[in-house]
Amino acid sequence: MNVLLMGHPNVGKSVFFNRLTGASVTESNYPGTTIDYTKGYMRIGGKSVELIDVPGTFSLNPKDKAEEVAVAMLHESKDVKVICVIDASKIERGLYLALEIIEQGYPVVIALNMWDVAGDKNITININDLSRILGVAVVATTAISGEGIKELVTSLDDARPVEIDNIINNVGGLT
Amino acid sequence: MTLDAATRWDIIDKISKETIAFGKYRHTLTDAIGELTVKPGTGIPIAIAILYGFWSIFGSFAGFFTDGFFVRIFDEYWLVWLQGVFPGQGGWLYAIMVDAGGIQSGQFIPSDNCLEAFGVLTSGIFVAIGVVLPAILIFYFMLALLEDIGYMPRLAVLIDTLLHKIGLHGYAIVPTILSLGCNVPGVTATRILETKKQRFIMMTLLAIFIPCGAQIGIMEDVVPGLMGWIMLYLLIGYFIFGFVLNKIVPGEAPEFLIDVPPYRKPLVSNIFKKVWGRLVGFFKVALPFVLLGCAIVGILYMLEVIDWLAVVLSPIFIGWFGVPAETAGPLIAAFLRKDLAVAQLSTIEMTEYQMITAVVLVSIYFPCVATFAMMLKEGWKELLAALAVLAVVVFLYGGLIHVIGILLGVA
Amino acid sequence: MAEKSPLAVFYFAVLGILTAAFGFAYLLVTIGIVNEFTYSLMEIPGDMFGGGWGGIVLLSAGLFYLMGLKDFNEIHQFGKIVMASILIWLLAGCDIFVMITESIPGGDEGWFNTLSGFIETYYPPYTPAVLLLPFSLVVIYYIYNRNTREEKE
Repeated sequence: MNVLLMGHPNVGKSVFFNRLTGASVTESNYPGTTIDYTKGYMRIGGKSVELIDVPGTFSLNPKDKAEEVAVAMLHESKDVKVICVIDASKIERGLYLALEIIEQGYPVVIALNMWDVAGDKNITININDLSRILGVAVVATTAISGEGIKELVTSLDDARPVEIDNIINNVGGLT
Repeated sequence: MTLDAATRWDIIDKISKETIAFGKYRHTLTDAIGELTVKPGTGIPIAIAILYGFWSIFGSFAGFFTDGFFVRIFDEYWLVWLQGVFPGQGGWLYAIMVDAGGIQSGQFIPSDNCLEAFGVLTSGIFVAIGVVLPAILIFYFMLALLEDIGYMPRLAVLIDTLLHKIGLHGYAIVPTILSLGCNVPGVTATRILETKKQRFIMMTLLAIFIPCGAQIGIMEDVVPGLMGWIMLYLLIGYFIFGFVLNKIVPGEAPEFLIDVPPYRKPLVSNIFKKVWGRLVGFFKVALPFVLLGCAIVGILYMLEVIDWLAVVLSPIFIGWFGVPAETAGPLIAAFLRKDLAVAQLSTIEMTEYQMITAVVLVSIYFPCVATFAMMLKEGWKELLAALAVLAVVVFLYGGLIHVIGILLGVA
Repeated sequence: MAEKSPLAVFYFAVLGILTAAFGFAYLLVTIGIVNEFTYSLMEIPGDMFGGGWGGIVLLSAGLFYLMGLKDFNEIHQFGKIVMASILIWLLAGCDIFVMITESIPGGDEGWFNTLSGFIETYYPPYTPAVLLLPFSLVVIYYIYNRNTREEKE
């Protein structure tokens, strides 16, 4: 099994990667730091699992070379689980990417990263409801300080593919 | 089952209504300062100030180590010691490894400093450790600091309009600034640009107009007073030829939306990790080439290849570029060793303006071998095209600088 | 939020005018209209880098102070005051860093400077940016003041 770290540029994927694998990928406070992907190994429940730091992408319709790399990696890997990293202070556009990944049948857990920044901006997110609607685990994290990382790893074990119809039902149908 | 974009946004809208509450958002001081650094009226003076700080610290730090300590260590101890213990003074191996010296009336005259000895173990090591190491150490440290605070995207926003004129966009500032440390990661970073056209323009401009940390370090050391003019000429060239390339290279240069992150307190550990990683990378890639280049130049001198070329090409150098005939040697050797070529130039008698011209020529010359290899990886067609552009640029721009000098009455 | 801080406004107005004037003086000395200027405690740099480039920075800092005076307590206006101080810290920091790097090596005398030579490097004259530094630090008090007031609200 492989685990892919996906999300928009500059939401902290590389910080996660370093936290999870103990490796040293350079992190920068600007988008596009990870241009090639980076591989490492993390441990889930005693097993060693390959973790891949995918370049940031806004959607699964690639717009530049780094995004192409990202999408190709998702499609080429078999038996993968995806950690979708979302900037909690800009949650809506992050959910867009998460939905795209869920639609394609990949098991997903969502990390609502930069929880602290969202707090500063007075944004409150009901995680339980969000998790119930989407049918996937949602964890609030602050990767820089390591908050929520452990919970994220535990929830990865139970990640299952979700039918998009269920999500549509949960929000009360389409308009 | 997959949905279309409108349906996805519909779902997200519903989710958001149920789960997210946006409280009243009051601007913090960090936000206010963030805004000041992006708005042109206040952002440009701030950018000027930050560049001032960058340059000032760079100069004092590099000068502290190079002039304060390394020059003494290398000239008074290392060189003297090597001249004493290395066998075969005057022989070819001695000349390549330690000291080519000067020959006057059949008498070998040893050099008295590491810049003029031109040996692999003397000039080669001195340039790498004594000059380049402090320069790129402080460069990468300050770059990491600016990156982690979150200043880079703001600089990108500020300079976006200007870079659009040359077919690029704000983020092109990232490969450009990275290249000031070393062109190799700069070339890799061009991948954040979207189209082939943009990547080609960027790579070509980097290879030609952006001097790397090694060059800047040695320029700071041997011609500190002329730095401003040299950088100005390179900057002007960057924009002139970027503008021209944008007009003639086919392809698109799309708009790019820049996402500006909030300012963050940098993590010290991350900064040190980054500086260390880049330093190691630089020395793994660059140091072997530096020493090898030093040896090859030494051999070519010995075989009198360079002297021969200098004679053949000297009409171009004197007539077209307006620099003394002696500079032909170092300028040709610059194909292999840019930084050492600058050092060689500094020992030749010439006017200030000729020195500026010669150093600019060395900078816009052929990229170093490591950069060359990186560009080859991105595609050989692009590399050939870049080289063609390069040949034209060196010829035209060198001539142009000469003409400007004539008009100013200094050449 | 509509409180008035007449004392702060007066203080930063004076500081702003002084800073801008010094920035202007840097430029005048650099261009050569005014000859080298050294007066007991103070020396105005006149080289292209320190005087020209640095002068532009100091002048901007002064203007930022003056721009931020109106509605001093509004956060974006206050941001300008803070930014002006940051610019002075940057300039003065660079000047002090130059002093530090010059004070340690011995030059022609030996590896390291003598103790007296080391200390003498830090004697006056200083650049105006360094002299303005302590006065610009006052802004920290106002940042602190602001934070405690916001917490109360």
